[in-house]
Amino acid sequence: MNTSALLEGLRFVDAFFPSGGYAFSSGLEAAVQGGAVKTSDQLAGYIEDLLRGGMSRREALATKRANRAGATGNISMALAIDQTLEATKLSRASRLASRQMGRQVIRVAADQIRGKPVLAAYCDEVETARAPGHLAITFGLSLGAAGWSQEDTAAAFLYQTAVGFVSAAMRLSPLGQHEGQRILGEWLPLIERISRDVDSDTAMSSWSPIQDIYAMRHGSLEWRLFRS
Amino acid sequence: MPIRERQQKRTSRKVSTSLKRKPSGKRKSSPTKIGPAPFETEFVGRVGKLRLTYAKRDHRTIISHAYFTTPWKLLPPIYLDDTGAAYTLLVNPSGGLVGGDHLSIDMTVGQDAHVLISAPSANRVYRTEGTASEQHVNITVGPGAVLEWFPEHTIPFAGSRFRQTLQATLAPGATLLLWDAVASGRIARGERWAFTDLENDIRITTASGSTLLERYVLDPSTDLGRVGLAEEWNYVASLYVVNDATSTEVWTKLESTIATILDTRPGEVLGGVSAGPVPGLAVKILARTAPDLNAILDALWAAAREGLRNLPPVSLRKY
Repeated sequence: MNTSALLEGLRFVDAFFPSGGYAFSSGLEAAVQGGAVKTSDQLAGYIEDLLRGGMSRREALATKRANRAGATGNISMALAIDQTLEATKLSRASRLASRQMGRQVIRVAADQIRGKPVLAAYCDEVETARAPGHLAITFGLSLGAAGWSQEDTAAAFLYQTAVGFVSAAMRLSPLGQHEGQRILGEWLPLIERISRDVDSDTAMSSWSPIQDIYAMRHGSLEWRLFRS
Repeated sequence: MPIRERQQKRTSRKVSTSLKRKPSGKRKSSPTKIGPAPFETEFVGRVGKLRLTYAKRDHRTIISHAYFTTPWKLLPPIYLDDTGAAYTLLVNPSGGLVGGDHLSIDMTVGQDAHVLISAPSANRVYRTEGTASEQHVNITVGPGAVLEWFPEHTIPFAGSRFRQTLQATLAPGATLLLWDAVASGRIARGERWAFTDLENDIRITTASGSTLLERYVLDPSTDLGRVGLAEEWNYVASLYVVNDATSTEVWTKLESTIATILDTRPGEVLGGVSAGPVPGLAVKILARTAPDLNAILDALWAAAREGLRNLPPVSLRKY
């Protein structure tokens, strides 16, 4: 990857990007309130389990395939994987969060990444509700158009997700910044393996029943800091 | 003719009516009178097909067409109450699935018909060193029809390999209550999450084209296919309640009722409910014991019947 492509894509990975991700915990808040995540070790295990079982063959796979769609300008490929991802998201809050963040990404990408008509075309699909516009798809599409590889795109997506969980955990528990960095570092080898090993040509699947249930339970919490 | 095809023809049973008993003189000649053929034991009961079509006749739902091959057996529908709903047990008397078995169910529930489906016992999947055991279900629910699909749970034995696909396609106004549950193994003998691999693929498509997909692939020997934190539980189950003509108010009330039910056994059952990607509710459940799972199932089923159809709970008379 050349430096220009790196910089073009980094903006979408950076926490500074206005995706609104700070408002969502993807069920972590319900897990903390429910007692499933009380310590930093439990947090590390809970998110590692989600990355491996829940997101590897779903979001990481979708991101890689969307990357290919972005690199080749294939809108129908992006649309198909977007709709499949929508079908797998059983929690309403998680579904809407992913779509809201995804819409912010495609809006910026369509406006600022030049010479890639696939981005403007897909933004139009999202704005007119013909495409769900999930984050994994618009992120993959944008970084594919920017010249990132499938593997790097999946790694960046999972890293961004992991950072989001650490950030949420710091607001939900007494987790400090150094401890957060230690946990993040523990996840990096897994993120690397997932990004490398997931075959984007296989059918999408996901196994994270505990995290799925807590994501569903978020809506019935008595008090909430996050929207999911 | 391929061996399997020949075997299926020899063991098939075809029923063209509602399975009501007829005078013996009007019965068709038994398929067992077909002439002898070479007996290839390795294929007996390995590729079983069950095709059922239900129709509403007067105030009752009947089986208007049925076809099945070994190991499937078919009993006449049972009418548990005065609603006219046809209750059918999926009967596989062979005891379970071994490697290489390929069972399929094709079911059509006609307009305004009402069908309840269950099974007399758990779906046992035996150890294999060869190919996987497969079960493929294809369901069509017609306009205004109701299908309540509540089979017993699947028990994947140590070393087993299981693939299940279930596709349900719903017409406008169709109602689907779909339950799917998997045990960790033969829990009483300490056999938990010891299968070789397990794939489960459930798809529900509504008339508008919206789709719900639950698909998981567990191959615990691989890095990405581990059971993970769920290993501490013994049962994982899903309930989907779908109808595209139900008001938001009804769904909201039912969601609240289900959320309350899911919290009745803290520590023994962990469950969540949410509006799914198709019109209706998706429920995910983890349970520690079969009695916990069944108690929650009964309560959820009763709530869904009452909330959607204003119907009382049914007793399946299995135990």
